[in-house]
Amino acid sequence: MKTLIDAIKSLKTTVSNVLRPVATVEFPAVIRVRAPRYRASFALTNDEHGELSCVACQACEKICPSGVIKVKSGGKRESPATGKKRQYSDEFTLDLAACIQCELCVQVCNSDAIIMVREPEQPVYRREDLVLDLDRLRANARERTAAWGTGSVLQAMQESKPRAEPKAKEEKPRVEAKPAEEPKAPAAAEGVT
Amino acid sequence: MQTQSARRGRVDPHLSMRDYDPEADLMLLHFGPQHPSTHGVFRMDLHLDGEVVVKATPYLGYLHRAVEKLCERLTYVQQTPVVDKNDYVAPMTNEQALNMAFEKLLNVEVPRRARWVRTLFAELQRIASHLLWLGTFALDLGGALGGGSTLFIHTFRERELILDLFEEVTGARFHYNTHTLGGNRHDLPAGFDVKVKAALAEIEARLDGYETMTLHNSIFVARTRGVGVLDGELALELGITGPILRASGVDHDLRRDAPYGAYDELKVRVAVEQGGDCYARAKVRVAEMRDSIRLVREAIEGVPEGPLCGFKPIRLVGQVKATAGQVYVAIETPRGELGTFVIASPDNPTAPHRLKIRSPSLHALSAIPYIVPGATVSDAVAILGSLDPIMGEVDR
Repeated sequence: MKTLIDAIKSLKTTVSNVLRPVATVEFPAVIRVRAPRYRASFALTNDEHGELSCVACQACEKICPSGVIKVKSGGKRESPATGKKRQYSDEFTLDLAACIQCELCVQVCNSDAIIMVREPEQPVYRREDLVLDLDRLRANARERTAAWGTGSVLQAMQESKPRAEPKAKEEKPRVEAKPAEEPKAPAAAEGVT
Repeated sequence: MQTQSARRGRVDPHLSMRDYDPEADLMLLHFGPQHPSTHGVFRMDLHLDGEVVVKATPYLGYLHRAVEKLCERLTYVQQTPVVDKNDYVAPMTNEQALNMAFEKLLNVEVPRRARWVRTLFAELQRIASHLLWLGTFALDLGGALGGGSTLFIHTFRERELILDLFEEVTGARFHYNTHTLGGNRHDLPAGFDVKVKAALAEIEARLDGYETMTLHNSIFVARTRGVGVLDGELALELGITGPILRASGVDHDLRRDAPYGAYDELKVRVAVEQGGDCYARAKVRVAEMRDSIRLVREAIEGVPEGPLCGFKPIRLVGQVKATAGQVYVAIETPRGELGTFVIASPDNPTAPHRLKIRSPSLHALSAIPYIVPGATVSDAVAILGSLDPIMGEVDR
């Protein structure tokens, strides 16, 4: 008898959950809202002159715990925009198949070149398709929503000086800058849970 | 220890099957490694007399990934995201244990704000971990609890609320890489406290219902009370810590006994039960969840202003150097004492000479040869579930 009463009491909890809103979404059709800091895939940004920000310093290649980043410098060249000599990365590959999304490459990037984007890559049939090359990384910067972290933002946050509030403001345009061009192809189904 | 245990009337884990009644019709059952109730890849060899287990031998190592060796190859700054994967139900505590060891090795002071934020994360992670345990434990017990997997799905939904909070701060739902040497990498975003409180209110409200479904349910009590009794003395001998030890009547909690983080300012109420059985372990964990909700509320109110990191931010792969010294630092994770032992050497100043992780789940599994014999096969599943082992942490 006691078992029956207990079972009915348990059932009360179960039944009360019928009235709760659905917690899941039907994924391909509806995409849940991702947090501003959500880190999924990668992108390489341009600087204010429209050139690739990456100067091939290889800091990201060295710090990557999985060793998935390969940067090849093309030596110093004159910049067509500013006329100054600077270094460019001629080859940049990132193997997402072995990436652990630790954000250390973003953390160490002094020129804020490599950033993470919020939309994950689509599943692929071949492993080679998960290797992001320079073109795909630059396309990601144009087409996807940037996550909030960049090298300077993350480093400023950890610096001993307590300047939490101004920081949050100063990096805001960076977040805004990307969404301006982003609401397009895959974002069509951007829905709310 | 073996002779002592035998003298006290305990099961002999080294019992040879030849010494057992040769006339008996024993059956050897390979339980695992691919079995849903082994919580990962874990194998037990069960010698059965009918349905009763005569001898249980655990076999580990199916998930060995050589993390400790890998940590000797990677530099100090690269290791945090790697150890994240050890205890994959409570990754936040792995990072914390590792970085606290490095901080002690290098004498780096952690700012007060970072200590509070770390404590806040650790307690949120404890709630998430215990919620997952509650759900999977109900699953282990089968359909006894108003439909078996019901509770599992419910606790997973509540756990999502906490993962959402972590996503808000760190950008990752699971492998955060948010702790760093000297503090944290990610600051709390604006309005975070409101979200934490809302999530906690929801979890706390649901917890009553879950308690009705488990601890106050006579079927649950019948399945767990008196099952897998582990006395405190044996638990101490085996090096068991955490909720399992506290359920065996030993009042031990590193958060109170050796305060780290913000636990010197936050007072932990340690839940202790005397039963030593599966029911007591469940009761301790649910009580811990409630206490953690209280601690998170206090922590989110009390997070002080100030710097977030007491060391310069990571810029180079080899920027952290230690040439001498060895330290052991232990913290209380949802599963017990997670210790990190680091030896630094002048040969390679950027990476540890040796890094050893003392994982609580490994010690919890060492109780299996003692407490499973005498139980039925279905009880063996319940006992294993109540030990809450995480194989990623056991094998490393």
